Amino acid sequence: MIQFLFALALAALGLCQAHAEDASIPAPAAPGPATGLADSAALRATVYGTPPQDIAPLPAKVPLLEMDLDLPWRRPIPAVFWFDKRLRVWLSAQEKPAPLAIVISGTGSDGNTAKLATLRAVLYGAGYHVLTMPSPTFPGFIVSTSSTGVAGDLHQDGKDLYAAIGVIIAHLPQQVKITDIDVLGYSLGGANAAIVKSIDAQQHKLNIHRAVMINPPVSLFASVGRLDKLFARTLGNSDAGIERFYQQLYAELANQYRASDRVELDEDFLLGAAASALKTDTQFSAAIALTFRIALMNVFLAGDLYSGAGVVVDPRHPPGVDDSLEEISLTLRTKTFAEYFSRIFAPYYLKRRPGSTVETLVADNRLDVIGDQLRGNGDYYVQTNSDDLILDKAELDWLKTTLGQRIVVYDHGGHLGNLGDRQQVADMLDMLAGRWHGGAQ
Amino acid sequence: MRHGRLEWLGFVSGALLIALGGCASQTVVFHHLPPETPAADNAADIARMQRLAAAAAQARKEKAQAAGEQAAGAESAPPVTPAEAPPMKTYDPWGRLNRFTYRFNARFDEALFFPVANSYRRLPSPMRAGVHNFFGNIAEIDSVINYTLQGRLGRMVRSLGRFVINSTIGIGGLFDPATPMRLPKAPTGFGTTLAKYGMHPGPYLVIPFYGPSTLRGGIGLAADYGALYVIDPAWIYRGDQSWGLGVLNAVDQRASIDFRYYASGSPFEYETIQFLYVRKLLIEDAGLHRQKRLPQADPNVPAGE
Repeated sequence: MIQFLFALALAALGLCQAHAEDASIPAPAAPGPATGLADSAALRATVYGTPPQDIAPLPAKVPLLEMDLDLPWRRPIPAVFWFDKRLRVWLSAQEKPAPLAIVISGTGSDGNTAKLATLRAVLYGAGYHVLTMPSPTFPGFIVSTSSTGVAGDLHQDGKDLYAAIGVIIAHLPQQVKITDIDVLGYSLGGANAAIVKSIDAQQHKLNIHRAVMINPPVSLFASVGRLDKLFARTLGNSDAGIERFYQQLYAELANQYRASDRVELDEDFLLGAAASALKTDTQFSAAIALTFRIALMNVFLAGDLYSGAGVVVDPRHPPGVDDSLEEISLTLRTKTFAEYFSRIFAPYYLKRRPGSTVETLVADNRLDVIGDQLRGNGDYYVQTNSDDLILDKAELDWLKTTLGQRIVVYDHGGHLGNLGDRQQVADMLDMLAGRWHGGAQ
Repeated sequence: MRHGRLEWLGFVSGALLIALGGCASQTVVFHHLPPETPAADNAADIARMQRLAAAAAQARKEKAQAAGEQAAGAESAPPVTPAEAPPMKTYDPWGRLNRFTYRFNARFDEALFFPVANSYRRLPSPMRAGVHNFFGNIAEIDSVINYTLQGRLGRMVRSLGRFVINSTIGIGGLFDPATPMRLPKAPTGFGTTLAKYGMHPGPYLVIPFYGPSTLRGGIGLAADYGALYVIDPAWIYRGDQSWGLGVLNAVDQRASIDFRYYASGSPFEYETIQFLYVRKLLIEDAGLHRQKRLPQADPNVPAGE
């Protein structure tokens, strides 16, 4: 959902720029750098991430242990997900007793992304044991760990994460001595981290101390509409737009390659080409919308198979391990988040939660559900940007009012485009250590 | 069959059984990965960004120059237009077999190939560099042959120069002094030779133990191996020691590839890799025929056919 979250904000952006006259898009009310109205720089920062020269000091060496867990509550696995039987997480352990920082990934991503590697390095360098985990929307998590198979529900995903963390900690190598536990997460993972801490506040199994949310969303489903719109505006609602975008990129790469003197299309070439292949704001937006759509395809297929909804696969004849998934992928690439919500997510949870309605499902997926704790408990922190694409002004204002002195809002960075830079890292470490005394608002 | 080969056969078939059977079930399985080196990696990223920026500036300069020459009447390659992009559908008539092979490769990798390569990566890096350089140097022979067949004599001389320098100053290929002497590695093979002569990639093909390829790529690999087998450089392709060296070569190759089967967690991984692999190949093919206009893509003919 990481990409979906960018896309939300981008959607708003693309809409405002290209269709300022559209009555459904509210004009920015407040002066100054308004959220939901990220500029070109914010878009590019979102796509490119933090430049390497701006990254905080990193340690020379970080040990890395991969843990593959078979969880006792795992559900039967659909044939096409045969490889996702185990939950895979990564541990970097100190040799002496130390606090444990658990870091949760963003939408659709595993527990070993480049962003997580950066956070892992700075946290390890600051003396933490570091455990990095996939997002509950990562297919490997949905299959190995989710108790429903229908991802995207903040509370349910939080419960599954919490249970998994309990098993992981019970199975850590014996020499790992933990003095304290903190949780962090970026993008959707930020919201997941806060929910995990709130669940722990009731169950007291782990005694999680502090939670730091980096560029978190406020309302998952409010954002969904923006995401779908972003995709529709930049790529259209049919396959034609996707094909066109692909053809443009193909021609761009082929020409750059022909002009180069390389015998192989290698990583260096791709990095160089990436810097110039995307040119307009629409193209940046399209790239983000498409990345998100690819993540949604996995969530959609898993949800369809687990809930038996039968939207893209016949539940009585699910595809086998050697069957082609090409047709299914062609169908899925035109499926929107709205369709996931209305045809898979909502029917599934409405049936299992007596008294719930579509409205309550949407409301349950806002950070407001833990609003009292965010307000009253001094151990929740937020880092975000005033040009973060995934928030609108009302949502950022809500975060500021709710967190008070425990939020820091940077002027630039878009969505995660400053993750790992010196200031963000210094502030994050202050927050985790309880040294934080108010941010620059 | 000699004793040494029987042992290897036993080893390989045991590995196959493990790969096909999957692992015993345990709550947790640990893989100790080599430690990460974030400070050095970031420094390398900064250096790379600077290098790429310099290269981009140089390319802009050359482009401006070329534009000037073109105005003076020089010939230049017509640019590829979006309409010439191959369709998103890929030519994969052997899809079912390929999917089976892909799954086999994934299991084999997870059960044996990756763990072995992962352990290998814990050896001291100068030692691994020596192994890598040694096999890379042997492969230069094949590059020399194929650059000759392709009629790219400049590149042939470059590969030959690398081979001579690295085999002598580089002590039998264990070191690579040619690269700092501005003779960077640029390997080629018979698959590229076939492409140069206009052969299409043909059906997508997943090769057991090896990975994604095409029919043309498969023929190329077999020919590359055949050529080296006939030449038998350093007597490593024939005889009992060839099995051990072959495995070492394979482990070295695997250790240098930063890929993990199904790290994506996605059932569409087969489709994704097939898509990217064939597009990369077609862009490289287009690069081989720089001076020619590409044929208009037929939307009804899958890419690669």
